[in-house]
This record gives sequence, structure tokens and C-alpha cells, in this order.
Amino acid sequence: MAAEQRSLWEGPTPEDEPSHEGPPEPPTAPAARLTPRILRVTDLNRRVRSLLDSDAVLADVWVEGEVSQPSFPASGHCFFVLKDANSQVRVALFREELARAVVRPGHGMNVIIHGRVRAYEPQGVYQLYVDSITPAGAGDLPARYEALRAELSAAGLFAEGRKRPIPRWPRRIGVVTSPVGAVWRDITNVLRRRYPLVHLVLSPSVVQGATAAPAIVRALRRLYVERDLDVIILARGGGSLEDLWPFNDEQVVRAVADAPVPIIVGVGHESDVTLADFAADLRAPTPSAAAELATPDASQLATIIGRLRDRASLALTGRADERRRFVDAEQRALARLAPDLGAARQRAADLLDRGARALGDRVERRRMLLAATQDALRTLSPAATLERGYAVARAFDGRILRDAAAIGSGDALQVILARGSVETRVERVRPDRTDELLA
Amino acid sequence: MTHRAELADLDDDELVARPFDELVVALQETVQGLEAGNVGLEESIELYRQGLRLHAACETRLRLAELTITELGRRGVAGAETEA
Repeated sequence: MAAEQRSLWEGPTPEDEPSHEGPPEPPTAPAARLTPRILRVTDLNRRVRSLLDSDAVLADVWVEGEVSQPSFPASGHCFFVLKDANSQVRVALFREELARAVVRPGHGMNVIIHGRVRAYEPQGVYQLYVDSITPAGAGDLPARYEALRAELSAAGLFAEGRKRPIPRWPRRIGVVTSPVGAVWRDITNVLRRRYPLVHLVLSPSVVQGATAAPAIVRALRRLYVERDLDVIILARGGGSLEDLWPFNDEQVVRAVADAPVPIIVGVGHESDVTLADFAADLRAPTPSAAAELATPDASQLATIIGRLRDRASLALTGRADERRRFVDAEQRALARLAPDLGAARQRAADLLDRGARALGDRVERRRMLLAATQDALRTLSPAATLERGYAVARAFDGRILRDAAAIGSGDALQVILARGSVETRVERVRPDRTDELLA
Repeated sequence: MTHRAELADLDDDELVARPFDELVVALQETVQGLEAGNVGLEESIELYRQGLRLHAACETRLRLAELTITELGRRGVAGAETEA
């Protein structure tokens, strides 16, 4: 500042900015006129600073104004000028406060700031130091939400025709969420009990504050270049309208719509619907529900593979009616396994409830099923078929015989019975019809 | 029958290492093959034996499954496998 280069006793010059600060006694008091007390610049600035610091109003102010020319240097802090029609003031928004802020200051944005006014000694300026910054009039948010929703909807991002089915048996699931906190824990817990066969790929992101939107976009893009992902989950826990605001950010919504594989968005609670939800292939009412919708239930899978084994046994012994019963049961089980998209959208409570019940009796059910299939297997194995009187005739080279023409008189034969076998030679070959022989 | 054919020559350890969904589909195909009724006893017994192996592999996978987690973005290198 030019003023700093002048000797203090020269007094103010006409082109100096008008000063409204009266209190600090000028060092040129009458008694000191002959021997002026000369302050160092540092001392002057310190004096101004302590004066400002002692003012209770300046230590706790709310200021509304328009952001002008924000800068984001590498330090992670943010600096800008806040102005109205007549005046302006310099503003410092430090990294920690910026991370907590619900908005990232943008040129022309109207904001309300809470903070304190202090002097910055090295530069001889006073600044407003922010501890919270919010958009002026939160009533603004719904209007912006509606405007962006209309715009993106018109651009086709929310079209039903874009929505892809969620794969039934995913091998690799990508997840974008905060690695700390309840949401990530809930997702891993659900998958551990429901479908631990899956490989989770976490792409961590901040999900709150002014830095959240670009961070979510980066985290999504990191997943988009991963190979072999079957489905992606974007999740965040509940919060205020401002907390969930990053999920209404245009870049986030567009990044969701860009997903190369089906994406499930589970943000907040059932009643929270963000624009990212609209752009997703499937909207889950909560993060836990997103994990459930992405996977089959392994306890039902145990049932299904058990039934398959029973069917194999029945097929071998030719009990067609029982086989049909098992096919029906398996098909019903498979139908239940497919994610029910319509119901999922509307009935989160039901889903969670079902999950809880499944957890409760899963272990017992699986144990009983296993025991039952083992019994079935024992009675229906090939050995049991022989036990019922069938025999297997094998030629000397191991071929199983099913046509008398394949063997000649005098050939060696092995006849396998339920207990032991008989080695014998063919006396005579009779190409009669089997049904006549059995009659 | 592709899944079943691919898996038929694997030993038990290799079988268990296959993706779970592949095992289930192969088991389904095996059972359907048995049920089709156009196979002889020899092949039936072979199918049945395969079905049992596939079923055992599925059971093992379900029993031993542990969630695998990879975190991206650690110094830009994907991979560090962590069990959470």
C-alpha cells in the first residue's frame, strides 16, 4: 500500500482513501509535534489489528453479499471479494471451512457469511474470515432443483428407455461412497451376509460439502475405467437438503448417466429423491437397499442348488412327477431371486424387513435343507437303483450294453448287481423286443 | 451345454475356483441334461457324478465365501487388497 511508504508525520494526502476509523490516536499528538513518535509499519498494523480484535460486533458478524472473482490457490484455501452495490470487502475462506461449506463460492453467487473481521498485518488490510457460508436464501434451492430437473429431463437423461436391468449374479461391484462412516459399513455388512461371493471395488469420495460434487465425479470416473465391473453403487446416508445437494449437481447427475454399466443410486432416506436418483438405472431408497438390489440372496441360492441336486437324483431314477414338483419350486425360487424393481422403488421397508427375517432363519433353514438332500441322495443314488433290482451289463472292454446285437455268443460279460458282480459268457443272443421279453 | 462342457475336465480345486454363477449354471445344465431323458445310463451316471461335484463346489463356495474388497485411488494404484 502506498500509505506505508510515507512518513507518518506527513499527514493524510487528498488522494488517500477516506478513512472512517477514528479511534486510534494519531501518533502526532500536539506534545509530540517536535519529536514525532515514529512507528514501524508492523507496529501500526498490530495496533489496528488489536483495535479490530477488541470489537465484539466484528468478532461475530453475518454479512450478505455477492461473491466476486473467487480464487482457489494450491494451499486449498479460497479468497474472494464480497460486494454489494456500493462497497466491497476481502474474504478469506480457509480449507477446513471450505470442506464443510455447502456451497463452493462462485463468481456472482449471492451468499450469507458468518465470521469475524480481522486485520491481516503483513498486507495492512482487513478481511472477513469465514466460518460458515451458505447460499443467500435457502429457499433458492428448490427452484434450482426444479430448473435443473427440467433441463436434464428434456435432455433425455432420465428416460425410462435408458434404464438397464441389474445383473442377477454380479461378480464385481463398484461402490462410490465415503470410506468412513455408517454407509460403507452398512453396505459391507449387507453383502457379507447376503452375497459374500462378490468382489467389492471401493472408489472413495467425500460426499458432503462444497468439494463433494467434483470428488464424486472423479470417483465415478475412476470406476468407469475399471474392467469387469457388473454394477456400480453410488451411496450416501441421510442428511439435510444442503447435505444431499451434491447429488443434485449437474456434473454429478451427468456422470451418473454416463455409467458404462448399470448403476444403482441410494442416497439418504426413502423420501429423499435427488436428481442423481433419476439418472440411475435403479433408485434404491437407502444405501443398504442398494446393496440388496445389487445381489441375490445366498441363502436362497443354497436352497436352489440343493433342489438341483435332488432333481439330478430324481432324473436318474426316473421319478418324473417328483421331478416336476422340484422344477416348479426352483422356478418359483428363481423368480423370487430376481430384483423386483417396481416394488423396490416403493417399498423399502418391506425389503429391509424381509432382509432381517432372512437373516434370522437363514442358518437353520440351510442346515435342514442340507440334511434333507443328503437323505434324498442316499436313497436315490445309482446304487439304490441297482438295489431295486436293476443290473448293469458290461462287455469285457467296459462298454455298457444296451443292444443285444452289440455282443456275440461266447463273449465275456460282467453283470453288476446291487452287491457284487457276476462274470459270465454269452450263451445265445436273442434280438427280441424288450417289451415282449418283460411281458 | 457350454458351461458344463468347459467345467467337466477340471479337478475339484479348479472347479471351486470358478465363478459361482458359472457353477450354478453348469449344475442347472447338468440336471437338465439328465432330465432330458435322451441319454443312456452310462452318460446319466457320468452326468450325475458331475452334478454331485458341481453341487459340492457350490456348497464349498457358499460356505467359505468371504467378501473381497479393493480400494481405488491409493496413490493412484489400484489393487491393495484389504479385508475389512
